[in-house]
Amino acid sequence: MSGSELSGSLLLRITALAVVIVFFQIGVVWEIPVFGVYIDLSPLLVAFVGLRCGSVLGAAVGFAVGLLVDLALLQTLGVTSLIFTLIGYWCGRLRELRDPQAPLTPLFVGAVASAASLIGYSLMEFLLGVDAPVSLGLLRGIVVGVVVNTVVALPMWLIVRRSLERGLPDDPRRRRRRAYTTGGLSPLSRR
Amino acid sequence: MYDKTVRRRRAVLVLLVVLSLILLTAYFGEAPSGRLHSVQRGFLTVISPIQNGANKALKPVRDLFGWIGDTVHAKSQRDQLLKQVDKLRRELVANEAEKRSYGELLSLYHLDSGLKVSDYRPVNATVVAKSPNVWYSTVTIDEGESAGVRVNDPVINGEGLVGKVAQTASDGAQVSLITDSSMGVSARIGAGNSVGILQPKVGDSNDLLLQYLPANAAANPGEYVVTSGTVSSPDDSLYPPGIPVGQVTSVNEESAYKSVNVRPLVNLHSVDVVQVLTAAQGTLPSNLSHLVLALPAPQSGGGASGEQLASTGIGG
Repeated sequence: MSGSELSGSLLLRITALAVVIVFFQIGVVWEIPVFGVYIDLSPLLVAFVGLRCGSVLGAAVGFAVGLLVDLALLQTLGVTSLIFTLIGYWCGRLRELRDPQAPLTPLFVGAVASAASLIGYSLMEFLLGVDAPVSLGLLRGIVVGVVVNTVVALPMWLIVRRSLERGLPDDPRRRRRRAYTTGGLSPLSRR
Repeated sequence: MYDKTVRRRRAVLVLLVVLSLILLTAYFGEAPSGRLHSVQRGFLTVISPIQNGANKALKPVRDLFGWIGDTVHAKSQRDQLLKQVDKLRRELVANEAEKRSYGELLSLYHLDSGLKVSDYRPVNATVVAKSPNVWYSTVTIDEGESAGVRVNDPVINGEGLVGKVAQTASDGAQVSLITDSSMGVSARIGAGNSVGILQPKVGDSNDLLLQYLPANAAANPGEYVVTSGTVSSPDDSLYPPGIPVGQVTSVNEESAYKSVNVRPLVNLHSVDVVQVLTAAQGTLPSNLSHLVLALPAPQSGGGASGEQLASTGIGG
């Protein structure tokens, strides 16, 4: 999606979705441990916005959501923004280059985004210096965290897709599907 | 047209990455009173009432999930607690007599002027947000500078030590839990004299490591670990002595120093209400905290040696 296609309605929808998801995460989701870890909805949100809206918007939303999380939780500013920017961009590029249509794509993207978020965070912390001893439980936490996040990836994808559906100007997939069903515009016929 | 789109896309990515790196470097390099920290505290002041409202509105949802979890664990917890009550009742009877003699001896030798929890002015606060990241173990509370909460104030609850205040805003504060990677608490085992530094093990929120104990220090599984009332560096919080922190689970004697694994007493996954131990100007805790801040920073490795720089009178 290019910048010119970014409508006010879409921007409003993404902002509202990001604020609701981040506050819901802080207020509810992070109060409930699942198998000793916590579900993290924010990398899923960024990944799915990228997958739905493209690399530029994915990166921008990643930066904004990361900044919101860092500000709200009084964490080191810039760490989450950096990781989420890259996640949003990568997911957007995946859409632009491959346009994956498989039903399990959100699961795969959710798992990769969660792994990138957890591993990226740990790498950044190691780079910034760690005073405390590090336990092997960190690895377990990352693996379980990715699995738990993957489980909620599908419902999260449905929420993001539903919320942004009307804000998107015209989905190329829908346009293509319409063309196939009406006939004549199949790539095979374009010779 | 294609080139223009590609250039724009790459420019946006580079811009955002560079912006993140600038933010990170500036934040990491500046003092806690710096501009970015102030912006963050200002943001906390703005969103504190929203977080508070959201916290109250979403409580039924949390309670529902909590109820399901509690029901699963209730039976085993009840049996465990019944055994613990029996054990503690016996200990209480034995300790009552000792306490009386101890108090008399303290008065006799004028040693009862040390720092105590009762010297502080406790401020009750509700947890409004949690950061359960593996690296950041922090909670946000709904009381801040307007209630007298200051950076480094000890935070406790009914079970024991929770952590210390890391940052403050006017109506909120961030508390670093004892499992946060930045924390280090001077602590001792039970009634022993040996003091070590209690640090978290990143990645395992149920395990702390009490390090730099002398090799001959007595440590047995099941013994309680309490704050020593000393600090190892001027940045540390001066916790009053005797606040329970955890219970020894295992002892390691592989190096010149002894280290023990400690299980925190406080269930940090479900901290809802805490007490911040604040101190008014001119009181003993406030004077001691100022004294600690005025101490010279330790030489390299000083913190790791386990030597304490300041004491509250009873500890150390």
